[in-house]
Amino acid sequence: MLKTLSHVAFVLTSALLVAAIAGPIFEVNLPHGLDFTLQNSPTPQKYLIETMPGGVALLDYNNDGLLDIFLVNGGRITSPMQTPENFDRHDPQYWNRLYRQNKDGSFTDVTEQAGLANAGDGNYGMGVAVGDYDNDGYPDLYVTSYGKNILYHNNGDGTFTDVTAKAGVAAGGWSVSAGFFDYDNDGKLDLFVTRYMEWDTKHSKNCGGNYHTYCPPEEFPATTSILYHNNGDGTFTDVSQRSGIASKKGRALGVAFADYDEDGFTDIFVANDGMQQYLYHNNGNGTFAELGLEAGAALSEDGRRLSGMGVVFQDYDNDGRPDVMVTELPREIYGVYHNDGGGSFSYRSLETGLGVLSSGSAGWGVGLEDFDNDGWKDLFVAQGHVLDNVEHIDPSLHYPELPLVAMNHNGRFEGVDSGSATPVAGRGAAFGDINNDGWQDVVMTYLGGHPQVFTNRGGKSHWLTISLRGTRSNRDGFGARVKVNGQTRFATSAGSYLSSSDKRLHFGLGTAATAKVEIAWPSGVHQTLNDVHADQFLEVREPEKP
Amino acid sequence: MIRAILLLWFAAQTLSPEAAQHMQAGIDAEKQQQVDVAITEFRKVTELEPTFTEGFVSLGQAYMEKHDLGSAIAPLKHAVELDPDMSPAHQLLGYALLAQGYAAQAIPHLQKVGDKTGLGIAEIQTGQLPEAIANLQAALAERPNDQDLLYYLGRASGLLSKQSIDTLLAAYPDSARAHQAMAENYFVLRQMPDAEKQYREALRLRPEMPELHLELGEVYAGAFQWAKAEEEFRAQTKLQPGNAEAAYRLGTALLEQGKAHDARAELLRANKLLPDMPETLYSLGKAASLDGDTAAAEKDWTKLLSIEKESSLAAQAHFGLASIYRKQGNTEAAKREMQEFQRLQGNSSQAAAPGK
Repeated sequence: MLKTLSHVAFVLTSALLVAAIAGPIFEVNLPHGLDFTLQNSPTPQKYLIETMPGGVALLDYNNDGLLDIFLVNGGRITSPMQTPENFDRHDPQYWNRLYRQNKDGSFTDVTEQAGLANAGDGNYGMGVAVGDYDNDGYPDLYVTSYGKNILYHNNGDGTFTDVTAKAGVAAGGWSVSAGFFDYDNDGKLDLFVTRYMEWDTKHSKNCGGNYHTYCPPEEFPATTSILYHNNGDGTFTDVSQRSGIASKKGRALGVAFADYDEDGFTDIFVANDGMQQYLYHNNGNGTFAELGLEAGAALSEDGRRLSGMGVVFQDYDNDGRPDVMVTELPREIYGVYHNDGGGSFSYRSLETGLGVLSSGSAGWGVGLEDFDNDGWKDLFVAQGHVLDNVEHIDPSLHYPELPLVAMNHNGRFEGVDSGSATPVAGRGAAFGDINNDGWQDVVMTYLGGHPQVFTNRGGKSHWLTISLRGTRSNRDGFGARVKVNGQTRFATSAGSYLSSSDKRLHFGLGTAATAKVEIAWPSGVHQTLNDVHADQFLEVREPEKP
Repeated sequence: MIRAILLLWFAAQTLSPEAAQHMQAGIDAEKQQQVDVAITEFRKVTELEPTFTEGFVSLGQAYMEKHDLGSAIAPLKHAVELDPDMSPAHQLLGYALLAQGYAAQAIPHLQKVGDKTGLGIAEIQTGQLPEAIANLQAALAERPNDQDLLYYLGRASGLLSKQSIDTLLAAYPDSARAHQAMAENYFVLRQMPDAEKQYREALRLRPEMPELHLELGEVYAGAFQWAKAEEEFRAQTKLQPGNAEAAYRLGTALLEQGKAHDARAELLRANKLLPDMPETLYSLGKAASLDGDTAAAEKDWTKLLSIEKESSLAAQAHFGLASIYRKQGNTEAAKREMQEFQRLQGNSSQAAAPGK
């Protein structure tokens, strides 16, 4: 009887929540001052890089409590491309851009004064990672490119300095998504850089039959991703070989971090395009073992290779273990790898409803965020096909698409109106509470256009947003497992595609006015806070002593 | 074979010593693949012995060996005029004419020797499609793995199908069948909205036509509209409860929506109607696995593997079994299944070269 009553109560609560979110959950707008255009420069040559940018980051670069926006630009591509490659990045229309948020919600372009104006003529921009690698309290920027990557140190006075040469993190080749994390728990953020393939404009190919198309990844050799170890003195060491990361070549586009087996060391999931996905298990001794196949997180349920693009590594079903979601091309269904515990995953795309939601779409940037603050992480995916002429080849597919917004009902996702009426070729997506109202917002980039800002319309449910302040651990607290009223988030700014999200950890609390907060810091320190009031931004400082 | 027959004929003839010398020289040159020399020699034979049929046949054949089919036709035609019953001459002439595009002229010669392959191909070109299909099927019965025959039979069948549909569309453009035919064309072109529209019109005109729901369901499935696909497949199963394909399609549409329990029921029904179809067994195992019944999934996939050992479905079944065994903690069995999967599928990962 009691069980029946509780079931009825659950159904009623769910129904009320659904009713509460009737109508679009977001209002899509372009805030005043955010005048960026993603210049991907499509050409008749169909150079593959054209269809891949661009990243977006949500960060508070000046620590004024307001999230700012950094956007990565592509560059000019000539048809055909000349040697040496010049993407005209000195031209302002091809600059990456930093927009400082003003108190009234508008943005001011501070690119030039911040020292971020010219990303190098030889670099076609891709993505961005954000992390405080020197623990000085100011977020630093790592910008990836086809060409050389750039590490910008945040000087703390509103300016950045290109420290790539000193840091030794230029990489080279075609870098895509990147992320900061602390793989050896030494309190200093290390850096993982995905690289897509061995490709350059001189070795581009013509693909497609009657229709000239961007080539599939199998046309070009795979390559290795890079792991940089932070030496703590402003320099990094490439440990790709030593750590085992370079033991496998891939066609990596996305990367996300979490400790999936609860051994206290952060693991890496790499979304590979057109092949198996890689799950690098952190052995805790500076090395990694790629266990995707063994763990059941490498292929589809039918054993098929996936076109992995974006990835998120968070717990969607509130069982406390981080799961993996990978965005892909149409006919593949976005991959949901449920963490079963014991180092094993099971493919749950169909059970979670993603078969219906994603089988006709191409997904890129992805996030699991609690948009309606009901205590369940919802799904946002930036969508749009790779091929700009896909409708000619298969009229049932579309180049521009609306993003997918799906609400999580007890672990099953149901699509809702995103609030956007204009299909676009979506790519990057970053998540955070831009207006500090307690409701998660999204910034999405798309090829050839302005970014779209999805402002959460909000509601009445409670929430709690936590900023971690590591002391023994890295200052950002990346790698911490934070549990709030039965929900778990893994502290990171990485994930999605090419993008970096607000490092603050947001929790929806539903009707709960207080919360119990449990934090497992990467240092091994466990911290519990009881009766924390809802609806606040809470900074939690790691105890100096365990 | 033809050469042996010719030699027999040749032995029975009386030739002048000079002509016989050229004939022998031509045969020798042919053996040494000196086709131009052979042509010169055989031509001399025909000049010295204008009533010697074999001389013309040999000349024609030498031209054919040189792929100069146009030049082969005249001596071969002369050969059949000299001896209307000479089968090799008819066969060679038939092929030479066919290859030059004179299908109608080739047919009597091919009929004379009962060459069903040549006839079938020639009849495709002359539009005698039912006859072509009959001849190609007869030839295929003797050579079931002949790639050319398989191709031409497919082509003839396709053309006949198109001919029927063209007639249907021309004579009864507003009929349900005409709309169905147009819908099928749109479906092939992946123009799903147009296909849907035509199927809907066909259904309006003849709602009792059972296959329409199945096909419309496929349109929705192709456009990833699984709820609508389910609706149509369900309508089909109501109209035809004994249709195993409809039950299978309904099961897979339910599966795509994550409705594992309902999917399983339909797939079980499909398997009962048409037992042990590999596709059904695979989907059954998948539905059982999703439904939490790993024992049933294991049984279904093991059964599938007893039927198919090397196919892509077999690889998928091994992969599914590996997942089951891994979750059960049976690492040895999981490893074994994964090895079988990788053997069939090929490993997608590429190891980096040392030091690179």
